[in-house]
Amino acid sequence: MRRKTVRAIDTVTGVLLTIGAISYIVYILIGRQGFDYGYVQRSYGIFLEAAKLSVYATTISFLVGMLIGFLVGWVRTAKVVPLARILGDRRKIRAEASASGVFDRFALAGVITASGAKHLFRRIADGYVETIRGTPLVLQIVFAWSIFLVYYHPPGYEWIAGIVAMTANTGAYQSEIFRGGLQTVHTGQVEAGRALGLSRWGAMRHVILPQALRLVIPPLTNEYIGLFKASSLLFAIGIQELSYVGKNQAFVSGHVFEVFALVTAIYFLVTVPVSKIIEYVERRYRIPGLGIQARPSRL
Amino acid sequence: MIQVEGVHKSFGALHVLRGINLDVSRGEVLVVIGPSGSGKSTLLRCINLLVEPDAGKVYIEGVQVNRPEIRPEWVRQQVGMVFQSFNLFTHMTALENVMLGPLKVKGIARETAEQKAKALLARVGLAAKANAYPAELSGGQQQRVAIARALAMDPKAILFDEPTSALDPEYIREVLDVMTALAREGMTMIVVTHEMGFASGVANRVVFMDAGVILEEGHPEEVFSHPKHERTRAFVGKILR
Amino acid sequence: MATVEAEATRTETVPLITSKTVIRAVEALVGAIVFVVLIQYVLRFSLFDPDLWSGATLRQANYWPRFVDGTKTSLFYISLTLPISVAIGFFLGWARVARFKAFSWPVAVYVDFFRGVPPLVIIIFASLLGPKLLPPRFITPDTPLLMGALALAMHSGAYQAEIFRAGFQSVSRGQLEAAQALGMRPGQAMQSVVLPQALRLSLPPLGNEFAVLIKDTSLLYVIGAFDLFGWSLLTGQTIAIDVGRLELLFTMWTSVALVYFVLTFAVTRVMLLVERRFHARGLEALSI
Repeated sequence: MRRKTVRAIDTVTGVLLTIGAISYIVYILIGRQGFDYGYVQRSYGIFLEAAKLSVYATTISFLVGMLIGFLVGWVRTAKVVPLARILGDRRKIRAEASASGVFDRFALAGVITASGAKHLFRRIADGYVETIRGTPLVLQIVFAWSIFLVYYHPPGYEWIAGIVAMTANTGAYQSEIFRGGLQTVHTGQVEAGRALGLSRWGAMRHVILPQALRLVIPPLTNEYIGLFKASSLLFAIGIQELSYVGKNQAFVSGHVFEVFALVTAIYFLVTVPVSKIIEYVERRYRIPGLGIQARPSRL
Repeated sequence: MIQVEGVHKSFGALHVLRGINLDVSRGEVLVVIGPSGSGKSTLLRCINLLVEPDAGKVYIEGVQVNRPEIRPEWVRQQVGMVFQSFNLFTHMTALENVMLGPLKVKGIARETAEQKAKALLARVGLAAKANAYPAELSGGQQQRVAIARALAMDPKAILFDEPTSALDPEYIREVLDVMTALAREGMTMIVVTHEMGFASGVANRVVFMDAGVILEEGHPEEVFSHPKHERTRAFVGKILR
Repeated sequence: MATVEAEATRTETVPLITSKTVIRAVEALVGAIVFVVLIQYVLRFSLFDPDLWSGATLRQANYWPRFVDGTKTSLFYISLTLPISVAIGFFLGWARVARFKAFSWPVAVYVDFFRGVPPLVIIIFASLLGPKLLPPRFITPDTPLLMGALALAMHSGAYQAEIFRAGFQSVSRGQLEAAQALGMRPGQAMQSVVLPQALRLSLPPLGNEFAVLIKDTSLLYVIGAFDLFGWSLLTGQTIAIDVGRLELLFTMWTSVALVYFVLTFAVTRVMLLVERRFHARGLEALSI
């Protein structure tokens, strides 16, 4: 009996505190005296326009970044064999080559070249991802802007620069997502597929990719949300996206609280429902034991 | 020494224990058998209060323990438990695992606790593995450490929840040997197991549980060779095949 | 056959800095050098261009002192926000796994709030609104900046709360049961069994989040912090407007990028070392 009363008090307190927390936030945003609803009504259009720009920028960067992310992620799952090992195996390579009728000296050279190329691509991909992850996005945006400023600045070049930077950035983070998805599925599955008679490509198509896709969609959606929030950094090169407009309006009109309320509301409108849906879908449809561990560190 | 009177337990809509009455004397080895889902694990957990019975009474040495006035921690110091999945603390060595109880719960000094732990590890045959982490031990070794850990608290009785069910066959023997030695030394034990060999050789009494009630109890030979109840016969037949 | 025994008897301690660590560090260094050399060639600038680093061309906008000063300020903000964010994240994460909804639900509101809005917005409005929430007595010229930094810490704290929560939840239930079966009180069980494991499990994603926080401190420029990024933007304007040689922009930004890269690299490596120091063999996050 005592157990049940404790549980009841707990639930009630929980509900009260939650409502209290939400009310406090709403109060800070809206409830101070003199909240100018008229201003909100007059100006929300400006903010929505700016939000639209943010959405455009985000979506374009995200989609192009997906291609980059997939390719780079794939490259990063390639295993790189040290040169020493290849040279150690050269007799075996030559034997296999003679058996299949290829001139065996070429075979060794071919393997070394292919391995060298794999090595090179792998290193480039690694370098790309590490650079992006090691530097702030706002810096990448400004850097891209400088490149365009110096070499090629048609009108609207800030936009191009911003989107290029965001694409490069999301490409790197998405490559981590794709790499995680491919690797999680990879072990043993290719072999199982080939044991069934599928070719390497067939195994990829029918076994790995369908599973990897299922694994990859929740983190990708999170990444989209993160990118949308990160688009606020286009601020730094003067693009009229939501946060830039927000800051300007706050100073110009003096309605700081109202602007904050509007800006926050718009961001919430996009991020919170989508996050909640993802969480729900993830929980409902998860396959026990199958999941990507670390979320790539996107906001 | 341990008495269970009319204990009921439900988890939501599932009525797992439907009135269990059981008496275990000091020094007795009681084996509980039964199909999965019959409530055997739940019964054990009602005795050391990891699970609170909905109705009924549990007595340890004459003291009713399922009362709000009694601290569950005290109960668990009287009655130890060995788990099917060993549950050794993965971030500690075998020695530290065995030492933890006396050190933190009983407040014994570190050197004394350490010596005692070493002695217990030697007793279960693992003196050489004192500084190994659980991940470096085989299943049988882990379970023996778990037994040493339970013994470190000087319990009056030990509950075994399917101690060998998660083990590879080659490791079952070593754990059963430790348990047999323990029984010979007079420890009061309640063991849930499917190991009929152990039951026949070591148990004083066997109890058959099905669907939340005790259907039959008696000497091992009686229950195994001449089961009275229909369902007991069916179950024993399946196990002894 | 003898393998398990052989494995089990190999109880040597794991050295902190292995040859692998050194090789990785060297690889990163070489990679960075190669990369920098490459882009200098492609974008046609020099990292050590004297026009930027000596006062000659830029005069008042002399970059070197700004570079040093800005880095110091950035380090200040990092060392301010990092510990606060960890404290917030740890206690909120713990609250999230508490048995009582009275603890976990309000924290969920906090976490969802701070994760729903970009850090830039939080910083801007914290610096504008924060001082209004304080009694006027405490307000100094630095208050908006500190409010912004605090908001940044709270933002990262929300993410860290989720990391710690996952860490707590990754400790398998059997561990807690075994601790209880030994007669441990809930507090003891938490302290001796759950907490050590939860912390170890939280370390890898935590290192990531620290890197994110370090990079986010660059956003404080918006509210007037004269950190490395802020100074560089100012200098950049001078270069763009006054000085003829726009390639100085590349020189400057590459240097700034290198500083951030070194900082994030250092933090993630340190976290790896900490992980290794406290690693209990066989303790892994369960992929459940």
